[in-house]
Amino acid sequence: MSTSRTPVNVTFSVWKALFLREALTRLSAGRSAWLWLLLEPVAHVALLMIIFSLIRQRVLPGIEFALFLAIGVIGFHLFKNSAQRSIGAISANMALFAYRQGKPVDSVLVRIFLEGVIQLFVGVVLLVAMSLFGFDVLPHDPLGAIAAWMLLWLFGAGFGLMLSVGATLVPEIGKIANLIFTPLYFISGVLFAPFMLPPVFQEYLILNPIMHGLEGLRSAFFSGYPNVSGISLGYLAVFSLLALFFGLLLHIRFSNKLVTH
Amino acid sequence: MILLKEVYKRYRTEHGLSKWVLQDVTINIPRQCNVGLIGQNGAGKSTLLRLIGGIDKPTRGRIERNCRVSWPLGLGGGLQGSLTGRQNAKFVCRLHGHEGSLADKLAFIRDFSELGDAFDEPVKTYSSGMQARLKFALSLAFDFDIYLVDELTAVGDAAFKKKSRLAFQNLADHAGLVMVTHDEKSLREFCQAGIWLHQGNAYWFDRIDDAIQSYKESMAS
Repeated sequence: MSTSRTPVNVTFSVWKALFLREALTRLSAGRSAWLWLLLEPVAHVALLMIIFSLIRQRVLPGIEFALFLAIGVIGFHLFKNSAQRSIGAISANMALFAYRQGKPVDSVLVRIFLEGVIQLFVGVVLLVAMSLFGFDVLPHDPLGAIAAWMLLWLFGAGFGLMLSVGATLVPEIGKIANLIFTPLYFISGVLFAPFMLPPVFQEYLILNPIMHGLEGLRSAFFSGYPNVSGISLGYLAVFSLLALFFGLLLHIRFSNKLVTH
Repeated sequence: MILLKEVYKRYRTEHGLSKWVLQDVTINIPRQCNVGLIGQNGAGKSTLLRLIGGIDKPTRGRIERNCRVSWPLGLGGGLQGSLTGRQNAKFVCRLHGHEGSLADKLAFIRDFSELGDAFDEPVKTYSSGMQARLKFALSLAFDFDIYLVDELTAVGDAAFKKKSRLAFQNLADHAGLVMVTHDEKSLREFCQAGIWLHQGNAYWFDRIDDAIQSYKESMAS
């Protein structure tokens, strides 16, 4: 009874307890919350399909436009939700810090992990549903798809770790971050691919690491996808590592300030 | 046992740094010892308890816990309003690594708190008395070596008060206790040793009566 648990032991029980609690609140918030999780991206893709089929006909050889959009939406939502849900992670778990076992970084990491699991599930369901409608949803380069998916998630995680500290110490940072996600959606290439752009824009827009992730996903799904030179997963990987590094660094640096007020 | 070494604490306020709440506190709290923490309002009793409980960090100095120390009982927080009593209880059990004996613990908490069917209702629908009962039951569900208690006034109706007093007495006999209270009767009843907090300093007394006396003398002068 008097034997203390090892730090690793404690951390794992904290993660497990937090994960189950976060999953419960996320999936039981309101009526059939899990259904909305699925309906949101489906409605999103469906709406985009209607708009695009009305205003213009896109003909890309070998590329289904609906699938093209769906992959963009899945990839972007993975990044966005991991980052955005982290913003409120610490303040939502303030009651938990009455038990010293839980640290702010735990609540953020658990949320990011849960978001990854949810988005993976949503993505798979969406693709399976599309395959029932006759789309060829199997990626020709599965490892490439996994790598791009993981990197988008990790970049969202790093971004979220940084934002969670920033938004807890300076609430305005959270508000501004929430404003940024919408323009980010439009410049990250969810609705278009860089090869469709005039070179003038292309040059600047491919500085955005999210676009590299989305392009990586697409070229893994479509064989013969017209890749633009300069697009690489390595670029996103560097950004992800940097974001994770600085995110964790901020958590270490401000670990005391996050719980004491 | 709990070791505090040269612990300093001050807070960051909107008007800059506050003055030192605790200054150079070095204290050794043995495991099997019931200690009363006394001092004026604002002397830093709750601050010290939070520091010992590890939910706040000292500005300077070191705190070591070489045994299982509870969270500070009686302080606010610790329950998530949107979750039911059962879900909250499960969460706390998992947090403390009691995954294996979850069913037993839950049965005990449900029984002791006397919440009945309300155990499966969201905590935000509870009255303050029900919340306090749940928290008290939660703290009794685990075997800690040292319990930290902040003004744990008896809650509930007469029967529950009697039951909780008995349980608390049992606790005080089997485990160590660090207790903050203004109630002299409880101090004498549950504690042997005392810590008197005065102007940022902490003084250890082997007998609680001496601590109470010093405290009273400082009030009189």
